[in-house]
This record gives sequence, structure tokens and C-alpha cells, in this order.
Amino acid sequence: MPPPVHDAAIVFTHASVAYDRFPAVEQVNGTVRPGEIVALVGPNGAGKSSLIKAVLGLVPVVAGSIVVLGRPPAQARRQVAYVPQADTLDPNFPISVAQVVLMGRYRRIGWLRPPGRADRAAAAAALAAVGLEHRARDRFGLLSGGQRQRVLLARAIASEPAVLVLDEPFNGVDVVSQEALLGAVRELTARGAAVIISTHDLTLAQSACDRVCLLNRRQFAFGPPADVLTPPLLRQAYGGAALELADHGLILAR
Amino acid sequence: MTDLLIEPFGAPYMARALVEGLILGALCGAVGVYVLVRRLAFLADAITHTVFPGVVIGFLVSGQSGIVPGALVCAVLAAGLFTLVTSTDRVSDDATLAVLLTSFFALGVVLVSRQRSYTADLTAFLFGHILTIDRSDILVTAAVAVLAVLVLLALGRPLLAGAFDREWARAAGYRITLLDLVGNMLIALVVVAAVQAVGTVLVIAMLVVPAATARLVSDRLPVIVAVAMGLGLLGAWWGLAASYSASIDHGVRLSAGATIVLVLVAGYALALLGRVAHRALARPATATR
Amino acid sequence: MTLFGSLGDGYVRRALLEVVLLGVLCGAVGVQVVLRRLAFLTTALTHATFPGVVLASLLGIGLVLGAGLFGVLVVAVVAMLTGTRGAGRGRETSSVTAVVLAGGFALGLALMSTRDGFSRDLTAFLVGSVLTVSPSDIVATAVTTVCVLGLLAGLRKELLLGAFDPGALAAAGYPVRALDLVLLLMIEATVVTSLPAVGTIMAVALIVGPAATARLWCSGAGTMTAVAMVIGVLSGVVGLAVSEQWNVAAGGAIVLTVAAFFTVSLVARSLPRGESAMRPAAQEKSVGRPTYS
Repeated sequence: MPPPVHDAAIVFTHASVAYDRFPAVEQVNGTVRPGEIVALVGPNGAGKSSLIKAVLGLVPVVAGSIVVLGRPPAQARRQVAYVPQADTLDPNFPISVAQVVLMGRYRRIGWLRPPGRADRAAAAAALAAVGLEHRARDRFGLLSGGQRQRVLLARAIASEPAVLVLDEPFNGVDVVSQEALLGAVRELTARGAAVIISTHDLTLAQSACDRVCLLNRRQFAFGPPADVLTPPLLRQAYGGAALELADHGLILAR
Repeated sequence: MTDLLIEPFGAPYMARALVEGLILGALCGAVGVYVLVRRLAFLADAITHTVFPGVVIGFLVSGQSGIVPGALVCAVLAAGLFTLVTSTDRVSDDATLAVLLTSFFALGVVLVSRQRSYTADLTAFLFGHILTIDRSDILVTAAVAVLAVLVLLALGRPLLAGAFDREWARAAGYRITLLDLVGNMLIALVVVAAVQAVGTVLVIAMLVVPAATARLVSDRLPVIVAVAMGLGLLGAWWGLAASYSASIDHGVRLSAGATIVLVLVAGYALALLGRVAHRALARPATATR
Repeated sequence: MTLFGSLGDGYVRRALLEVVLLGVLCGAVGVQVVLRRLAFLTTALTHATFPGVVLASLLGIGLVLGAGLFGVLVVAVVAMLTGTRGAGRGRETSSVTAVVLAGGFALGLALMSTRDGFSRDLTAFLVGSVLTVSPSDIVATAVTTVCVLGLLAGLRKELLLGAFDPGALAAAGYPVRALDLVLLLMIEATVVTSLPAVGTIMAVALIVGPAATARLWCSGAGTMTAVAMVIGVLSGVVGLAVSEQWNVAAGGAIVLTVAAFFTVSLVARSLPRGESAMRPAAQEKSVGRPTYS
């Protein structure tokens, strides 16, 4: 049975998120539709990670609401895939690339049962989608940072998600891997998945994303890149000290 | 109350135990903070166990006077080996330590098992004998305390820098491996000074528990050091008093060393409860915003 | 060798059976301990279980039973204090673990000191005495081994994901706390069953040593488990043989054999050439990984 079609993948309604009992980000409003890529943009400590964790149901929503695929975040997890930053993982862990990708199927396989042929095929296809099928048998830690990030995306793709959440996927990633990552993400959106990417990279948010959510402890704007990445808004969100950045944004916005 | 806390120390052996306990309390409190910030609690635990074969060999070679040198050799060897192995980065630190700890201890056990009084030696090593301590033991501890204070005063800053941000310290030109070695040796020295007097359990507890408690109370390093030293002193004092009162007044024999640890752990539990209560009170205020 | 000469004796046969079972059990559990860096926590569990042994001896119930019950209590305390979110400020898991370790052990010693003298079996629990294991100990070990291996096999997907990427485990909606608790209970069960043979202080060697050695040679968790079990069994048998041959403490001899395997592997793998030459970016220390240690 195909998953039910929603006209909104994620709906934020005056959502406030607390992390470790301090409010991290407040008053987020907006809708992420199936098939689109939304960038979360803001300075360090703006609350991007907390908002992402709230979408995953790992951090409580203290006011307002976040609805994922028509349900509370914690109940939608089976159809949400999460791509963490590759450098938070132990590079010495004895595990092969193929095994990492196969982990994306675990929730579908269920408890106690071993992975079947269909699962292995799905994992292999996902690995091919990020262009790393030739590294399947290598140990995960032997890959470069960008390649590891692609493997983690393949793991998410293997779970056939309706919502994909990426936390700073382009940090320290080379150009080849960045292109491969974006290509694979676009393939997913073409099949109707909704994607949230948190990033520092305004150029990338501008060029690769359909809409942008500008945050710094609260939401400053949510809309098409051309409307959001404007000097006044960026200056507001990043503060007066970041005028150069705002000027950079000005160049981008043209 | 005063009677309970002052009177027991009229007896000379209790007075000596108190002096030893107080020196160790202050010393371990200070060094313990370094153990805490570098997360070396496991290393401290490991060194307390690794000196065991040193104690045994020292005793076999030259009797009672051989114990401290033997323990020192073993502790220095273990601290050096650990620094060496972890700098190669092939295995995770904790697995290495676990193997190092147990293998040294096993060596001690194998050596002792060839002797007659297997049980007595082992319990002496675990318990120590703080109540039968003599003047020369106190002198050794005091000397180590002075040395440790000198090292901490001279190298406190680089040690702290190395603990906080290894990459930065390396880039700033500090020789990290050397610093690690000095820090690990410092811990080893404290362990050796204390272990035969008060036993392994008390050493690890005195190194870790006051510092951990102080960390619950404050975020500022000078405060943490001061509180840890204070707690170490109090723990030694009240623990000895409690053990004395239990044995003399209530007829329950309580090991002095273990009682000190239990007092320290009780302090930690109190601080933890206080923190939880504080958090519970603070929570509604933030959630309603 | 003396070991084979004395195989006719019932107690040597029992000891051999016990160390083989323990080698398999500890090797398999040890892989989880090493991959998640729980060696310190395991050490703390061994020490903190000790009061249970003493209490059981005071109350006159079975020592393993006492240790097991108390162990569950200890696991509950540790799980409560550390939690799945790892440690908040001031509650670095490392210091929590150390406090549990010191407190538990001190409690055991304090309880012990209230008795007149030290009974033989309590000392045996400190350093173990594999040559005096009873048939009921062996049955307990066998049952634990079967249960733990079954759990490890049944949950191997989830345990692997949890060890490799705990964040993803939580994000996928698995009951993380329950899984952590099951793992802690498995470790505790292993610790308790190995106490009679190798004792409180050295049990951790049999758990961590073979797995740490296997990790040096293996690039997959599956092979690592198999190798760890083999090394665990070999260490037990060789240690027992050494102990019979030269009449030294069996627990100590087994641990020293484990250490020998580890040391030789470490030296062999640290020699130039080999894998380290082709690990370009993987050299830097792993960062920010939540651990219990």
C-alpha cells in the first residue's frame, strides 16, 4: 500500500522548541510541502539543530505545534529519515559501507528478523544513487568525510522516507560529494519526499533550495530564497556585526 | 556533637590517622579536579589496581620498606605504558585501561598466590591500615603532597590548557604527550603515597568523589578546587569519627577507610539531590515562557 | 601437560567447562562493551556488585543470587543517573561511574568489616577461584550464556545501529532507553556469572580483553564477535593449563593470558605497514561521540 498523500509534509504552527530546559527557538510558522527542499538558515546557536531534533520528535515542542505527515513528530518517525553529520561518528568503528546503508532498512525489517534479499537490493540501489556502489565492501572509516556523508544519505534513502532531514550535510564536504549529495536529494524530491536541510551556506540555500526558513532564536522569515535572503532580513537575523555577511547576501539576492 | 567529632582523636593512633586523612583529603581534592576535567577517573582507578604487583614484589624483596618503592615503580610503569599506548590511537583508551588494570592486578594475584597468607595480603591492599599508620608513612604522604602542590603550581596552566583543548595546546607549542605523562605521573604519585596507608578503594574515592561533588556545586574552576579540597578534609574527619563511634560506642566494627568513602559518597548524593530539586524548581519558570 | 594429566579429576573438568562457557559468553558481550566504550562502566558494575555478594553471605542466601539481585539495583541506579541523553553538566558519566564504583566497593568492604574475619568464599569472590566452581555455578553460566547469546543474536541489528549511531537509533523511533537497559542487564548478568571463576576485580578482563584484541584484527562486527569468542575460550583454557602446570591462581593466569593476546596483537598491528598506512582521514580522534565511559 502506498503511503497516504499529504498536501503538507510538515506544518509548524507557532512552534517553540526547548532544549535542555532552555527555549531554543520560538514562533516558527510555515509549511513544508512534499517534493520541496527547505533550507534552515541562521547563525550558530540559532536553534537550527533543536528545530531539526523537534521534527524528529527528540526534543519537546513546548508551545504551538509541529505536525509531521499529519501526526505528532514522535509517531511519524518510521517515515522520516535523518542524516546526521558524518564527523560525529566513530571513524574506527568496524563496519562496512554496505552495512551502514542496510541500517536504513532496519525499521522496515522489524525486530528479530534478518535482512532479506529485497532489503539488500534496496540498500545497493540507494548506495548507487549517491555514486558509491564501488565502495560497498570498504570499511566506513576509510572513506573521506564527503563520502561518509553520502553513505549516510544513502542509508536515509534506503528507508524510502516521506520526509528527509539533513543536519549540516555540507560541512567540510568536497565539491564532488556536494554535487552527488544534492543530486540524490533531488531524486528523492522528484519522488515526492519533503526535505529539510540545515546549513550555514547561504549560496547553497539560494541555489539549491525551494524555500528558506531564516532563524535566530525565533523565525525571521519563511519563503522563497529571493524574498528571504535579503540584506535587511539577514542583517536582522545575524545582527549588526555581520554586515559583511549581509552584503554577501545582497550579492546573492540579485 | 562536638564530643562525637573531637573526642575520638584524643588517642594518638586516631590523631595520626586524622593527620594522614586530612593531608590526603586536601591533596586528592586538588589532584582530583585534574582527574575530573581530563576525565581520567578510569585511569586513577586503574593505577590504584596496577600498584598491587609492585606492593607484592616490594614486600618479597625487602619487606615492609620495599612496598613504597615497589608500588612507585609499578605505578610509573603503568602510567608510562598507558600514555604510550593511547598516543598510538589504535584502540580506544578505556579498553586499553581495562586490560592494563586487570593484567597488572592479575600479576599481583598470581605472585601472591604462591605465598602462604594470600587472603591477608589482599585485604590489607584493599583496605589499607589507616589506624595503624606511623610517623614515616605520614612523612611520605606529606612529601608527596608538597611535590604535587609544586607541580600543580608550576604546570597548572599548561595542564589545564591541555585538558581543555588538546589541539589548541598542541598548536600553542605545548608538548601534549609530555604534559599527559606529567599529569598521569602526578596521579600515580598520589596513588602510591596513599594506597598502602588507606587502601585502593579509598584512594580512588578520594580522588574522584570530592571533585565530582564540587563540580555539581559550581561551574568555576577555583571554586571547584576549593570545594573539593574542603570536602576531602571533611570526609576524612567525619568518616574517621563515624567509624570510631560505630566501633566504640555501638559495637559495630566499621572499616575506617570504607566509612570515609561512604561519607564522601553521601555528600555526592546530597549534592545530586540538591541539583535535581533546583532543576525541578527552575523548570516551570522556563516552560511557561 | 599437567592439565591433560589431571583431566580425570572432576574439579578440573568442571573448571574447563566453566572457562569455555565463560570465554564464549564474555567474548560476545565484550564486543558490545568495546564498541560502545563501556569498559569503565563494566568495571564499575563488577565493583558495585560486590556489596551484593557480602550481603548474600551475611543473610545466608546464594552468593550469585545476591550478586545478581544487587546488580539489577546497581544497573537501575546507573541508568537513572546517566540516562540516554548522556551526561548533563557536572554529571560527566565518567565521574558518575567512578562514584558508583567507589561507593559500591566501599559499601561491600564496610559490610565485610562488620564481620569477624573474612570468610574464604568472600575472598574467592574478590579474585575468583575457578577450580572450586560448583555444578550449579556451571548450570547458571550455561543458562546465562544461552539467554545472552540469544538476545545478542535477536537484537543484533538494533544493537549494531545503537553502537554505531545512537542518534539515528533514537531518530528512527526505537525505544532507546529500553535497549540500553537490556544491554546493561546483559553485561551485568555476564559480570555476575563470571564472578565465581575470575572474581570481582578481574572479571572485566575476560569481557573487555578478547573483544579489544579482536577489534585490532577485524573490520566487521560479526567477525569481531567470532574472533572474540575464540580468544576468550583460548585464554580460559591456556590460563587454566598454566595454573595447573605451575600451581598459581587460575583467575590471575587466565587474565594474564588475555593480556598476552592483547599485547601481542597490539604490537603486531602497530608495526609499520598494514592498514594504518592506508587510513588517510580516519586518523583524527573520534569526536563528540556519546559514551558511558
